[in-house]
Amino acid sequence: MADVLDVLEKDHVATESLRRSDQALRLPVVAPPTSLPLDPPLVPQVGEQTHAVGLRAQRPDSRNHGLGLTRYIDDIALPGMLYAKIKRAGISSARIVRMDTSKAEAMPGVHAVLRGSEIPTNVFGTSIVDQPLLADPIVRQAGDGVVAVAAVTEQIAQAAIDAIEIEYEPLPGVYDALQALEPGSHKVHGGDTNVYARKVIRQGDVEKGFAESDRIYEGRYYTPGIEHAPMEPFTSIADWDANGRLTVYASIGRITLARVDLSRTLGIPISRIRVIGTVVGGNFGGKNEIRHEPVLALLAKKAGRPVKGRFTRVEEFIASTIRHAFYMDYKTGVTTDGKIIARKVRMVLDGGAYCSFSETTLGKACILSTGPYVIPNTHIEGQVVYTNKTTAGSMRGFGAPQVCFAYESQMDDIARDLGIDPIELRMKNFFRDGSMTSTGQVLHSVKVAESLQNAVKKFGWEVR
Amino acid sequence: MKHRGRGLASMWYPVGFTGYANPSGAVVKINEDGTAVVLTGTVETGQGSLGVMAQIAAEALGIAPNDIHVVSGDTDTCPMDTGAIASRTTYITGNAVRLAAERAREMLFDVAAGMLRVKPDMLEAKDHKIQVKSFPSRNAAIGDVAYKAYNDVGTPPIGSAMWNPPMIPMDPETGQGKPFGTYVYATQIAEVDVDDETGEVEVLRVTASHDCGVAINPMLVEGQIDGGVHMGLGFGLYEEILFDKTGKQINSNLTNYIIPTTLDMPDVDEDIVENYDETGPFGAKAVGEPSLVPTAVAITNAIYDAVGVRITALPATSERVLAAIKAKRAAEQKQIPA
Amino acid sequence: MNVTLTVNGETRSAEVPPETTLLVFLREYLNLTGAKTGCDIGDCGACTVILDGKAVNACLMLAAQADGRDVITIEGLATREGLHPLQKVFEETGALQCGFCGPGVILSAKALLDENPAPSKQEIRNALAGNLCRCTGYVKMIDGIQEVAETMRSVPTPALPAASKGEQKHG
Repeated sequence: MADVLDVLEKDHVATESLRRSDQALRLPVVAPPTSLPLDPPLVPQVGEQTHAVGLRAQRPDSRNHGLGLTRYIDDIALPGMLYAKIKRAGISSARIVRMDTSKAEAMPGVHAVLRGSEIPTNVFGTSIVDQPLLADPIVRQAGDGVVAVAAVTEQIAQAAIDAIEIEYEPLPGVYDALQALEPGSHKVHGGDTNVYARKVIRQGDVEKGFAESDRIYEGRYYTPGIEHAPMEPFTSIADWDANGRLTVYASIGRITLARVDLSRTLGIPISRIRVIGTVVGGNFGGKNEIRHEPVLALLAKKAGRPVKGRFTRVEEFIASTIRHAFYMDYKTGVTTDGKIIARKVRMVLDGGAYCSFSETTLGKACILSTGPYVIPNTHIEGQVVYTNKTTAGSMRGFGAPQVCFAYESQMDDIARDLGIDPIELRMKNFFRDGSMTSTGQVLHSVKVAESLQNAVKKFGWEVR
Repeated sequence: MKHRGRGLASMWYPVGFTGYANPSGAVVKINEDGTAVVLTGTVETGQGSLGVMAQIAAEALGIAPNDIHVVSGDTDTCPMDTGAIASRTTYITGNAVRLAAERAREMLFDVAAGMLRVKPDMLEAKDHKIQVKSFPSRNAAIGDVAYKAYNDVGTPPIGSAMWNPPMIPMDPETGQGKPFGTYVYATQIAEVDVDDETGEVEVLRVTASHDCGVAINPMLVEGQIDGGVHMGLGFGLYEEILFDKTGKQINSNLTNYIIPTTLDMPDVDEDIVENYDETGPFGAKAVGEPSLVPTAVAITNAIYDAVGVRITALPATSERVLAAIKAKRAAEQKQIPA
Repeated sequence: MNVTLTVNGETRSAEVPPETTLLVFLREYLNLTGAKTGCDIGDCGACTVILDGKAVNACLMLAAQADGRDVITIEGLATREGLHPLQKVFEETGALQCGFCGPGVILSAKALLDENPAPSKQEIRNALAGNLCRCTGYVKMIDGIQEVAETMRSVPTPALPAASKGEQKHG
């Protein structure tokens, strides 16, 4: 308690001295951008040739970026704003049996504490709605939030969540995607299976294709979980007006979806919610859905003040989403002259604790798993499983980098084994305009052969 | 000793969501002086999409990108947008912006038709003018037309539009369908040095040739390719979230989770394949996500070329590469006849 | 405690708790938000500022350690006459994408060029090794810095007022 008062005292002193120094010196040296020469001129020039598409036009935001004047969300502070911290479970599979927030609530500077049970609809998700905002009572990943605090400074909020006592009953867990498929494995969301999304694509007759193949190649490939690692950690601010209308500022790439999720979780009409997407300091798929905004909104409502929540770098890893780890089995039938005639793909995606964007990741991965090649007989089967690990969601490429690793690794192995140049093998099998994909889509605007020819030329690839 | 190798990889990538509606709306308002404002519900996440939207609207209105201000990222003022995801902004939001700009332009043409005494369909917008097609000397400054629309005719030009890629959802049993409006393609080639004593891989250069339809802004396309190669390099050689036996992350910080620095990054030679996709805005498709897709496997194929080992699990860390080299040597020794 | 330092050529002073980092001092006490909080443990370089001519991570340093010293932040680079050449080249070539790492990268590059006006590509890579960027692959940044180095060598104008003031004082 003494420490906390100490912090408060310091905070007060600091504010006072800030006021004094500000009065003495006003603003620091910041070049006013308006005084900089603007080029080209601002008034439209009649007759000046306009040429917009194909132009290497300067980005509208680049001047502010270079001057350090772009206002990212962490550069925004509203009057009276509080800071939120969310306590992370730190255990991957457990039941919360007791929570004591009394010490935190008694701390000077703490304005609100929020538990999962206080959230009107404590669950969200982009397709399967399965993820709690604050786990209650079941924890399914170590990064699950369990309770939140809003306080006058981030330090006090941190001290407050540290002071919250939680007793967990550890539950069995499953930490491996392939084990999660086994009948006896722990079921992360109950029921009789951890598989929560499947995809099948079938075209032609894959077994007949293998029978007609001269050679068959089989390979197993693995790619791990990856963090988006945007330089800007995920941050949001919630602010209510006196009419009960909520404004959420967030470094999020999908404001329309965020508004719907806020409406659903808070139980208020969409018309009473405004979401402002601030300039995002890097997304790569990690900032495509809400994370803590309804929690901040409820803390702000309790406290009667705006609330900012800023992920630490660690939270960016454990409490946002990651790229799915993929296990892939590839079986490909080829003729001796290098025509691919059959391919069977089985893949298992480690979905982590909640669904997030798993369904669309799986869909893209399955469709793309043939590679940009005409294969008349295909059988593709994918599934995503729950594990008690960090939730996997959207990340730049949605499953494409994973399957590309498999199909292009195998492509080189086939070329080498058949003694065919890897360029020739690819050219022989590439999609062209009018080719059909494994889903039966007829393609237009196909330029894969051209991309290969250009790359080979630019690189200076000489046939050995 | 070090061995040099080269590897290539090709890929394809779709634009937009997998067989689901993912529309974008846009509003284009032409101001009294012929400049314009674009409203879009997408958000700038670094890729430069707002500039691209300005370029698309400018092309449709016959003005310059700098004449356009783009308002974005506010649910109160901007129309619905599925968002900055799935490499969809240029293609889908761009189509909405193009259509909205064309609708606003039609209102300008109606006003200009009276001024120039021709039918609206005989007009085009170009070089800050509304002019008669094939008689460009018969024209009116776009600002004069806009001013007249506001103050004399009483029809301030505003256009709004929605666009959603045409698609057919996939059959749940067979997966058959037309899940996307279009796809993009690419090939990347990597050159590497592999040290067979340490397993260390150095990527020397990457050539990246990408089809993105018409590049609305080639500078931004190159930027996306550069960044994609960076992320693909991390995926190929360094990045992996490690978990302990109880599902907790071990390396959840940028000290132990390695993303490539300037010291790791190779030179990148970007190439944009000439293409025009009739379904995209002014022929454009996408480049955001695809730029990272083939990099990692181009690198592992180059590793094979250099030292003859196939990496089947990413990332290809020094430890993994060295272990594969040792395993290969052991297998070769066994094969020597007694 | 009192901390007094020179920021962008002006003397600034504030009473702060002793644990205040230079980054918090700049962002919260001086409202200079150009330096960013990316990791808060010195991994990412988004908080880079120039201290007595050297690029440093402001998150790793206490404000008290900067007492009496000279700090240049991104806000101090441009003048009313124009942009710093690095800012100009970066904006013209689209070297920054989301821009979050930009202030740190530009300051690391400035510290390099102030010390070594003719850096090799490898020297530029070395100088930027502590600045993580997830968008650009550093490609256009490195090209841009090379371009600026060449231009600055051919036009022998001295560095900018705010910058040169501090360097004379301490350097």
